[in-house]
Amino acid sequence: MKEILLETEKLSKSFSNSGTMQHVLKNIDLQLYRGDFTVIMGASGAGKSTLLYALSGMDTPTLGTITFGKKVISDLNSDGLALFRRAHCGFVFQQIYLIDGMSVMDNVLSAGLLVSRDKKALVTKAKALFAAVDISEETQKKFPAQLSGGEAQRVGIVRALINSPEIVFADEPTGALNSKTGLDVLDTLTGFHEQGQSVVMVTHDMRSACRGNRILYLKDGMILGECDLGRYSHSDIQRHEKLSAFLKEMGW
Amino acid sequence: MKKSFLIARSNIRKAKGQTVTIIVLILLAALMLNLWLMLSMDYRKNFDRYHDRFHAEHVTLSVDGNTDEVQSFLSQTIESDERTEEYQLDSCMHMIGTFPYNDGEMNGWFVFLEKQAAMTRSIGNLEIVEEGNLTSGVYLPMLYKTEDIAVGKEVEISIGSQKVVYTVCGFFNSIMMGSHNCALTEIVLTKDKYEELERGGCAPQATLCSVRLTDRSENLNYEAALKSRVSEHYPNITMMSNCYDIVSQSRYIAQMICSGIMSAVAFFVLLIALVVIVSNIINYIQVNMKGLGALKAMGYTSGQLIFSLLLQFLCLTFLAAAIGAGISYLLFPAVNTMMIAQTGIPYTVHFLPAPLLVSFAVLGGTVALAVWSASRRIRKIEPITALRSGIQTHNFKCNHIPLERTKAPLSLALALKTTLSGVKHNLTVGITMLALSLVVVFSGLMTENVIADMTPFLNLIVGETADSCISVRVEAEDGFLAEMTGDGRVEKSYLYTSLNVSHVGGAELMATLCDDFSKINNQDLVFEGRFPKYENEIVIAAKYAKENGFRIGDEIEIAANGKQEKYLICGYTQISNNLGRDCLFTRAGYERLGLLTNASYYLNLDDGTDIDAFNLEMKEKFGGSVNTTINIETTIEGVASVYVSLMTIIVIATLVLSAVIISFVLYLLVRTMLNNKKRDYGILKSLGFTTGQLILQTSLSFMPSLLMSVLLGLTVCSLIINPLMALFLNGIGIVKCTFHVPLGFNIAAGVGLVLFAFLAVCLLSLKIRKIAPRALLAEE
Repeated sequence: MKEILLETEKLSKSFSNSGTMQHVLKNIDLQLYRGDFTVIMGASGAGKSTLLYALSGMDTPTLGTITFGKKVISDLNSDGLALFRRAHCGFVFQQIYLIDGMSVMDNVLSAGLLVSRDKKALVTKAKALFAAVDISEETQKKFPAQLSGGEAQRVGIVRALINSPEIVFADEPTGALNSKTGLDVLDTLTGFHEQGQSVVMVTHDMRSACRGNRILYLKDGMILGECDLGRYSHSDIQRHEKLSAFLKEMGW
Repeated sequence: MKKSFLIARSNIRKAKGQTVTIIVLILLAALMLNLWLMLSMDYRKNFDRYHDRFHAEHVTLSVDGNTDEVQSFLSQTIESDERTEEYQLDSCMHMIGTFPYNDGEMNGWFVFLEKQAAMTRSIGNLEIVEEGNLTSGVYLPMLYKTEDIAVGKEVEISIGSQKVVYTVCGFFNSIMMGSHNCALTEIVLTKDKYEELERGGCAPQATLCSVRLTDRSENLNYEAALKSRVSEHYPNITMMSNCYDIVSQSRYIAQMICSGIMSAVAFFVLLIALVVIVSNIINYIQVNMKGLGALKAMGYTSGQLIFSLLLQFLCLTFLAAAIGAGISYLLFPAVNTMMIAQTGIPYTVHFLPAPLLVSFAVLGGTVALAVWSASRRIRKIEPITALRSGIQTHNFKCNHIPLERTKAPLSLALALKTTLSGVKHNLTVGITMLALSLVVVFSGLMTENVIADMTPFLNLIVGETADSCISVRVEAEDGFLAEMTGDGRVEKSYLYTSLNVSHVGGAELMATLCDDFSKINNQDLVFEGRFPKYENEIVIAAKYAKENGFRIGDEIEIAANGKQEKYLICGYTQISNNLGRDCLFTRAGYERLGLLTNASYYLNLDDGTDIDAFNLEMKEKFGGSVNTTINIETTIEGVASVYVSLMTIIVIATLVLSAVIISFVLYLLVRTMLNNKKRDYGILKSLGFTTGQLILQTSLSFMPSLLMSVLLGLTVCSLIINPLMALFLNGIGIVKCTFHVPLGFNIAAGVGLVLFAFLAVCLLSLKIRKIAPRALLAEE
C-alpha cells in the first residue's frame, strides 16, 4: 500500500481574462504517492504547469483543497506557503533560475540555510550532491553566467535537493537544453528517484516522460487518464511503446 | 529630433516613479534656488531703491547742542569737505532710551524730531505708512508695529532716566534711522509732545546732520573724519552716528542668513538630484542594453540615443523648474514677512525675470552636463553584443560574502552581497546622506545655540551680555560702585562702556572699555591673543585687522576727542555689532585720549532679582547721576525673538525638506532595486523566502552605506560646522565661531536619520509582497 504524500480534492483554478473567467483546472481529485516519479503530460494549454504550481504551493487554487500529509496547504497565506515550500519541496525550473550575482555554491547554500543552521553539515551535503551530479570544485566557485546549460540545470537540481525535500517538482527540466545535456539531467533526476526521492515532473517530451513510473494525462483542465509504467529501467524497451499507446489513447 | 522625442516620451511613460522623483527633487532645488536668487539679487537692492526714493543721507550724525555756534561749526566743517554733495542740519533732541517690544525691550539711541520738521526735510525724508486721526502723540518706525504697539494704543518710552507715555499716532519708514540696527532710531513727535519733551529736559537739544556724498563709497571714511573734526573742536561732546555701509548691511542680517541657508540647501538638493539622475541613467543603460542594441541595429545613432536622454531629462527639469519657481512666488510673501520683521523696510513681491533665468540656466546646464556625462557610455554599445546577451554587468572576480565562510545570518549575508554589488546605490545613498548630515548638524547647532539657549549666539554676535546696564555720570561713579559692592543682590559689576574712536587714516571704530576684562562674562570675546591689560594696548576686530593688514604686535594710531595715540595690538576680537569695526581698550588706555564723562556698568544680579525693580531703585537712589538703565535680558529678548522665530522656521523647514528628500531618493533606489531584482526575489520566494525576510534583506542592504555615510557625515560636519559658520558669518565680522556642537543631538539625529531611512526602505519594499513566484514561472 503506497503512502499518500499529496492529495487534492475538487481542485479548481480559474483566471479572469478581460472579464471572462477561464477555468484552467476543473475539480481535480488526485493523490500523489511517496517514492513515485509522477509525470504530468498534456497538450499545450491543458493546465499542466498550473497544476504543478498549485500542487507545489507556488500558487493558490480558486476552489478545492490540497493536503500535504495531514496539512491543508490550500488555506495557507503566501508566507505560510513559503514556509511549506522551504520545508517540503524542491524545484527544478525550465529556465533554471539561478541567481546571477551569487556563485554556484552560494545559490545552493542560500536555499539550504533557510532550513538548516548547521552550515558545516550543509556544505558537506552540498559538496556530496555536486559530486553526484558531476559538478567540480572549480565549477562550484563560478557564477551562473559562466556555466553551460547542462551544468546550470544540474546545479538547479542540487539546489532543489539540498534540503532533502519530500517532493521535487520539475517543470520541463530539459526544455531549454540540447539532447545530450537533457539526457544527463534526466539521468540525474532518475538517479535520485531511485534513491527514494519523490518527483513530480511536467513535460511534453516522451523521452523525459519515460523516466516516470506514473503518467497522468491532462486535457482541458481535467485528468483524462493515467498510466502505470512501473519502475524505470534503462533496458526496458517496452516502456516507450506502452507510453505511446497510452498517449495515443488519450488523443495525443 | 522627432525620433529622439518619441524615445524620450516612451522612457518617461515607462518610468513614472522615477519621473516623479526627479521632478520633485528638481522642483525643490528650483524653489530654493529661485528664492535665494530673488533674495540676493533683488531684495538687497530694495534698500537702495528706498534710499533713493527718500533722498536719504549717506552719513548721519547727531551731536549735542543746537546753538547757532554749533550749527555754524558743523556747516563749515561739512562744506569744507569736497566729498559733500549736499547736507541738512535739523534741530532735534537725542538720548538713549527704551520701550517695550516683542515681549522684551527695544533699546537704542533715539533722535526725536518734530513731525512737521521731519516731514519737510530735504534729505532723509520719511514716509508715513499708517496714521490714525490722532493729533497728539508719537510716530514710530514701522518695524516696531506689533499687537501691543498699534495706532491708538499707548506706549511707555524711557528717555534717559525718565519715562514718558505717548499715544501712538502712526508709523513711518525711515531708511537710515528706522531700526535698532541703524545705531540711531528716529522718533517723531507731534508739536505739542515735542515741546513738552523740550520742557521736560530729559533729552538734550541736539543737531542732526544729514550728509549726502558725491561718492557713496566714501561714507565710512567721511563719517570717521567728520566725527574726528567734531571731537577735536568739542572734546567729550556726546554724538552718535551711522553711515550707509553699516546701515545697509546691518538691516539685512536676516536676509543674509536666510539667503545663505537657502543657497546651501538649494545646491545640496541640486547635487542630490544630479546624483540620482546619473545613477538612473547608468541603471537605464544596464537594464535596457538589449533595447538600446536593437535601436542601434535599426539605425539609431549614439548621438540620437544620448539626445533622447537629454531631451527626456531637460523636459522634466524645465517642467519642474517652472513649477518650483511658481511655488517660490507663492512662498515669497511669507519669507518677505519674516525678512521685514528684521529689516523694517517694506518690499513688494513682484516678478523677477533675472533670478528665474539664472535658475533655469543653472538647473538646465547642470542636468545637461550630468546626463551627457552619464550617457556617454551608450557610444560603447555594440548592437550585436548587446542583442545577443547584453553586456555583462556582474563582476566575476569576486563573490562577496561567500555563504560557505561567513558567520553572518542568512538575511544579513544576502543583504551585504546586495550592498557590495551595488556601487551606484551606495554612492547615491552616501552623497545624499552626507549632504543631509550637514543639514542635520546645522539644525542641531542652531537649535542648541539659538533656539534653546541663545547665549552662545549672543556671545558671538553681541559680544558681552549681563543682566543690567546702568550708565552713570563719572562724578557719581565712586558712590555708585560702593553701593554695588555693598548690595547683596549684585554678584558682579564692571565697567563696560562703548563709544566711538577713529583709526587715523582708517575707519570709525566702536571702542569698548573695561576696567578689568577678566571680570567680563564672555571670555571668548578675544579669540586670539589676549585682552588689553596695559594702557598702551588695544584689541581690534579680526575682520578690520585683516582688511588693513594688522597683526598682533603691530601698532595702530587711534584718535578721539582731538587727540591721537599709538596702541599695541595684543589680540583679535570679533564683535559683530559694528560689522567687524570694533576695538577694546582698558579704561586707562582710552583715557589717554580723553576722560570719560559717562560710565556704563554691567551688572550680574542674583537669580530671582527683579531687574526692572532693581534698575528703578538705582535710578531713584542716584537721581540725575544715572543717565540710563537697561534691562539687558529683556532688551535681548525683544530683538532676539525675531532671530529665534526665523531660525525655528529655517530649522523646521530644512528638517522637513531633508525627510522629503530622503524619502524620494530612497523611493527611487528601492524601486530601481526591486525592478532589477524582481527575478531574484521571485527565485528566492520560490525557494521559500518569506516576504518579511526579503523586505528585511532589502532594508539591511541599504544600512552599510546609510550608517557609514551618516557616521562620516555627522563626524566631519560636526568638525567643520564652526569654520563653515565663520565663513558664512564673515560678512558681519565673524572670523571664528565657537558654537557648542550638540553631540547628543547629533547622535540622536543620526540614529533618527538611519531609523527613518530604514523604516522608509521597509515601507517602500512592501511592493515585494506583489512579487509572486508564479509570475516567475509564467515568464517561461
